[in-house]
Amino acid sequence: MDDVALLDALKQRDSSVLAALFTRHADALYRLAVRLLGDEQQADGVVQTAFLALLDHADRFEGRANIGTWLYRVAYNECLMRLRAAPSVSLDDLAGESGEFMPSCLVDWRNLPEEALLNEEAHAEMERAINSLTPTLRAVFTLRDVEELSVSETAHILNLSEAAVKTNLHRARLHLRERLSRYFEGRHT
Amino acid sequence: MQCDDLVRYLSDYLDHNLEESLAAEAQAHLASCHNCRVVLDTTQQTILLYRERGKQLAMPAARHAHLFAQLAKALKAEDEISE
Repeated sequence: MDDVALLDALKQRDSSVLAALFTRHADALYRLAVRLLGDEQQADGVVQTAFLALLDHADRFEGRANIGTWLYRVAYNECLMRLRAAPSVSLDDLAGESGEFMPSCLVDWRNLPEEALLNEEAHAEMERAINSLTPTLRAVFTLRDVEELSVSETAHILNLSEAAVKTNLHRARLHLRERLSRYFEGRHT
Repeated sequence: MQCDDLVRYLSDYLDHNLEESLAAEAQAHLASCHNCRVVLDTTQQTILLYRERGKQLAMPAARHAHLFAQLAKALKAEDEISE
């Protein structure tokens, strides 16, 4: 069933359609929220807010809009509101990073054995690395490189220009590559 | 193409967004520059690691069911109000 048909059914308050939409989109919204807020309970709240907004908005939904990107947009804005309300986050942290970045760690760690790349310690370092990025860089990287959304979808969800999405993605990738390279450098044989 | 140009164009190269002539220059540089090849390969590997790990993350089944039940209740309540 396409989005237009799903919306028509949702307007009729069909709970099987709500179930289909929830199955299709809830986990992706949850992943973005966990990535941005670092808190699973808050992420649940973000998913709930997005779907309640959809129920509230179903009658007024524009026919051309994509339900997935619409839900993402609501979820992202809810995450930003929660981040702004958190005392530990300054506005600078939300502004994005600037400046050129040149890679300096040039170890080729691609061929490390799987257990070195995929163990829990490596996973913890991956988490620290991505959490060191600004929320904007984290969101762009998550939507483009983890969820594999297009540049235009990502720009629409995050309310950025396509050029800004590309610039932020480039910065995020280089920073993460550098962090992981430094981590794996010590484990390289 | 120099190393700093390659780094600047790295993401566009990975995403196949470079125009043909620049992509050819990048390819020629990568064929002769070991360091840039490593940066490209480890960037790709970084993306793959995050993608594989990221997609494993899902809302736990019990909370998934609980949240859906709350939404279904909200849907029903709205239905009753509109009637």
